[in-house]
Amino acid sequence: MAVLTVTEVHAAGGAPRVWRKRTMRGLTALLLPAALLLLWWTASDRGWLAEQILPHPVYVFEALRDMLASGDLVYHVGVSLRRVLIGFAIGACLGLALGIAMGLSERVEDYVKPLFLAFAQIPTLGWIPLLMLLVGIGETLKIIVITKGALVPMTLNTFAGIRNVSPRYLEVADALRFTRWQRLRLVILPAAIPFVFTGIRYGLTHAWTSLVGVELLASSEGLGYLLVWGRQMFWLDTVIIAMLAIGVVGFIMDGGLNRTERLIQRWKRSEI
Amino acid sequence: MILTSFLRATAGAAFALALSWQPTLAAEPLVIHVGYAAIGVDNRPFAEGTSAATARAGEFLEKEFANDPDVKIEWTFFKGAGPAVNEGFANDQLDFAYQGDLPSLIGRATGLKTKYLLASGARKPSYLAVAKESGIRKIEDLKGRKVALQRGTNSHLAAIKILEAHGLKERDVQVVNLDSAATVAALTSKDIDAAFGDTQLINLAAKGSADIIYTTKGDDPRFGRNAGIIAREAFITAHPQITQRVVDAFVKAAQWSSDETNRAAQFELWGKSGTPIPILEEYFSKDTLAYRNSPLIDDLLVSQYKEQAVKSKEFGLIRRDVDLNGWFEPKYLDNALERLKLKSFWQPYGADGKPTAS
Amino acid sequence: MSGTTSTALRIRRGITLPLLLLVVWEFSSRTGLVDPRFLPPLESVIATARRELFGNDLIFDLLSSLARNLCGFLLGAAVGIAFATVLALSPLAGRLVMPTFNGFKQISLLAWIPLISVWFGFGEQAKIVFVALACFIPVVLNTYDGMRDAPADLIEVGRALQFNARQRFWRIYLPSAMPAIATGIHLGLIYSWLATVGAEYFLAVGPGIGGLVIAGRERFDMAMVMVGVIILGLVGFSLNRLAATVENHLLRWRPPRAA
Repeated sequence: MAVLTVTEVHAAGGAPRVWRKRTMRGLTALLLPAALLLLWWTASDRGWLAEQILPHPVYVFEALRDMLASGDLVYHVGVSLRRVLIGFAIGACLGLALGIAMGLSERVEDYVKPLFLAFAQIPTLGWIPLLMLLVGIGETLKIIVITKGALVPMTLNTFAGIRNVSPRYLEVADALRFTRWQRLRLVILPAAIPFVFTGIRYGLTHAWTSLVGVELLASSEGLGYLLVWGRQMFWLDTVIIAMLAIGVVGFIMDGGLNRTERLIQRWKRSEI
Repeated sequence: MILTSFLRATAGAAFALALSWQPTLAAEPLVIHVGYAAIGVDNRPFAEGTSAATARAGEFLEKEFANDPDVKIEWTFFKGAGPAVNEGFANDQLDFAYQGDLPSLIGRATGLKTKYLLASGARKPSYLAVAKESGIRKIEDLKGRKVALQRGTNSHLAAIKILEAHGLKERDVQVVNLDSAATVAALTSKDIDAAFGDTQLINLAAKGSADIIYTTKGDDPRFGRNAGIIAREAFITAHPQITQRVVDAFVKAAQWSSDETNRAAQFELWGKSGTPIPILEEYFSKDTLAYRNSPLIDDLLVSQYKEQAVKSKEFGLIRRDVDLNGWFEPKYLDNALERLKLKSFWQPYGADGKPTAS
Repeated sequence: MSGTTSTALRIRRGITLPLLLLVVWEFSSRTGLVDPRFLPPLESVIATARRELFGNDLIFDLLSSLARNLCGFLLGAAVGIAFATVLALSPLAGRLVMPTFNGFKQISLLAWIPLISVWFGFGEQAKIVFVALACFIPVVLNTYDGMRDAPADLIEVGRALQFNARQRFWRIYLPSAMPAIATGIHLGLIYSWLATVGAEYFLAVGPGIGGLVIAGRERFDMAMVMVGVIILGLVGFSLNRLAATVENHLLRWRPPRAA
């Protein structure tokens, strides 16, 4: 609590200076992208850069405008997001359950963890051809692959979180004669939350990466498909737009989770 | 100490990398990089159905340069077909390539500096195969179904033209982008309902794993696909004599491929690609070899390419106009025909598809 | 918590599920409970492994993949460490570049495939560059963070001793960033293996385990896919262990940090 007040006071007192500093930082951060864009523009204009290596920025903007106007971009982003959210939700729930089970019971850990780790060693990309043979190239394939991408970090982080609960807390819980449920709810889970959150973040990142992989290999819609489409048709402007869209969605998801994570940590700190 | 050994390892890697870079940089001996916009069954480095495939399997180019130890031929076969060939041209890794109409037009529209030297594998038919029990009996039934094609290849353009002729647009079907081998797998496992392609589909139907319900063979010749030998402009400018000899070799291969007495031998040769001989016999049934393997840049071919360019723009496959003026470079072909005394060997066709008197 | 059960018991428990799986697999494929096309009997997987190993060039495929992986990894790690060092030691450079870098890293690795393919073509370079990129990102992030987190008191000491730039790098920044660099390299190794597989899937055809798996799928040969996937897992596992060992070795001089 004390720490928080100090920083708050400090921030309030030096607000204009902090703001000026932030603006400066923001401007510095934008310098490089601006310079790169200018360089790209000039190089394309003067013909230093062949069009088939990097298309003129104007083409990219035009293609972006067309794709926004036609709704194509929103459509593909929507398809990809839906897949990721479904797959991630399944993977995160399964991972949470599995992580808690392994974390709480040494017996479950002994039985399940070796096999789980063995499965986790195989890169998600490796699973795709095998799953293609089993379930075909439809929607099921995409959901399973994304689920797997989210499951592994979620399980491992939840597990680590539960195992990292300080023994002192557990001693306190013992002293207070907590029931099993109370121990889990009041001691173990709150202590594990930061780890679970790390799991969620990595899980979502992995889910997003897996999505691109599976959409590149087999699909007829989504951002990965847009990439393949652009590549096949030699439309580098479309490729660049798809890359940007993938980056922006990734950035938003990551940023959102980052903020939530900090909020949770602050809430935890103030609680203690 | 660990750091120094790490640095040493890095240096070693950089060295290895430099070595791996060498072949593209080395100027001597001259390596002629020839690309082929297809690949054999199970990724065999062979193809079938074109005079370029004959040149490869019959080593026509290698024989042409047999007495020049400084010239080496390097063939690359692309699973990614025509679009992958464009990537190769884009960073100067290819000097010549066999490529279909749509991808070469796309390359031209995107600013690749290439020339069209001679025809090879022009007038190839397309086939439409459907999965067993898919219930698709005619092209109109494809509406809303999952159809595989390899985007950006000449088969893609042919497919759209066929769909259009039957009242469908590309958007009316669910296009799944798959290469030829993946198409076979997906059709067998019924992951898709239908696919456009050629010999791999005839083969699948012969094995009873799919049904062919349509072919452009015997239908409107405008539905057919074109292809040819494309070369990088910078290479032609730098090595005009070598270019001439490469074209000579391709023309000799076309001549051999057009000779009916070689029909059986040719299918045997193309068999190196892994396509069974009966399938090739079926693929060429009712066609004369000379018709399919003509290298001529005649009015029919030029008008076909012009029409493909217009259609591609219309279908949204190419976003900008593509200018074909100056792209066809028949000089080397004409020289070869003159020198090999083949001026009247092939029948030229007019834009109307009828033989022209020469 | 652990250590209460004996090692033997843990091992016995650990192999129970895998063994059970194998038994179910063998049983169901033998009794025809499942289509052998989807679940080939164990012996056909072993036979396929044999065939690929002796008849075909499995070893060559594996070596090709590993060589690609190693080249890309070394390139990515070396460039990454150098790049991050410059950014970390020059605050201005860091402020200029890092935001852009953080933006770029949001683009999933595989999304770079089309551009890399166009820029570097169908040769080995394209694949190596892709692997290097995969390794580069975590190495830069961790090295940068590690160097920025160099303890202020040490930097103060360096200033008092009037260290020049080189001394500051070798005596202060590098040692204190070592654990972070090791983490970055570890991650880089894992990512580069993933990228090796990706490169073999999506770039031009060539020898490699990734290509083997794709070919297996195209031939509808589940046994071949399984062999490939198992090798992918084994290599991933070995690389992971190797990285962990190297990490420990690199950090062995470091006294365990208090909290």
